[in-house]
Amino acid sequence: MTLADNQTDTSRSLYIRYMDRTTDHYLQEGFNNPYQWARFEDVPFAQLEKPLSESRLGVITTAAQFQPGKGDQGPGAPYNNEAKFKRVYTLPSDEVPDLRISHIGYDRNNAQIEDQRVYLPLERLHDFEKEGRFKELGPRLYGAPTLRSQRVTSERNAPEILEMCREDKIDVALLVGV
Amino acid sequence: MSLIARHLEANGIPTVILGCARDIVEQVGVPRFVFSDFPLGHPCGKPFDEETQVGNLDLAFETLEKAFAPRTTVQTPYRWDHDEAWRDRYLQPTD
Repeated sequence: MTLADNQTDTSRSLYIRYMDRTTDHYLQEGFNNPYQWARFEDVPFAQLEKPLSESRLGVITTAAQFQPGKGDQGPGAPYNNEAKFKRVYTLPSDEVPDLRISHIGYDRNNAQIEDQRVYLPLERLHDFEKEGRFKELGPRLYGAPTLRSQRVTSERNAPEILEMCREDKIDVALLVGV
Repeated sequence: MSLIARHLEANGIPTVILGCARDIVEQVGVPRFVFSDFPLGHPCGKPFDEETQVGNLDLAFETLEKAFAPRTTVQTPYRWDHDEAWRDRYLQPTD
């Protein structure tokens, strides 16, 4: 049976279990040390202290700055370990930088990332800012490394980003994970 | 990304994560999560598509404002394709 154009196939519409898929994939490839994702019982929760329209927004991305000479980082590039970065970086938030995601295990069989806005929504955020949805963007965009070490992320990179957010008087944060 | 959201939140900065890997983010446990059920790489919408790109952010802001408890997940109303076969292609060899 084929589906007519206006019909939607909902037979497999449950969301993908990426942890199972990834673990199975690497076991099949002969890697017997599957990654263990973090798991916490308790989850912190902070209330907004003022309306969003009066709040300064910080934006955190896992995308990487384009690094000439470090291999193919373009849309559709194979996984590029060389393009990984290990330390938090910042860029001015009032300009749209050239950020890439070749260092991340995103869905290369399906993704269409020619439009950077699918993972870095800065132009859209500038529009929301003009409309007054939030008061303003913080002065800097924060780039967060995607490291295998949860300890380094929790004990070094997260505190560094917190410190930067405090310096920039960030009230609320949007984290865009690729 | 989830670990960073947790750290900011524990130190008084409310956060919202936009992402595509629901199982991972929910296992780690975060305050607010807007789930975009698109291929990994598309947390903010479809390419050159105003509806999903604006809609996802709008939902993120709404979630930031209205969530009243941690582990709040809100799924965007958008579908990647009429055909769900993309879900099977993830990590499959393409050659």
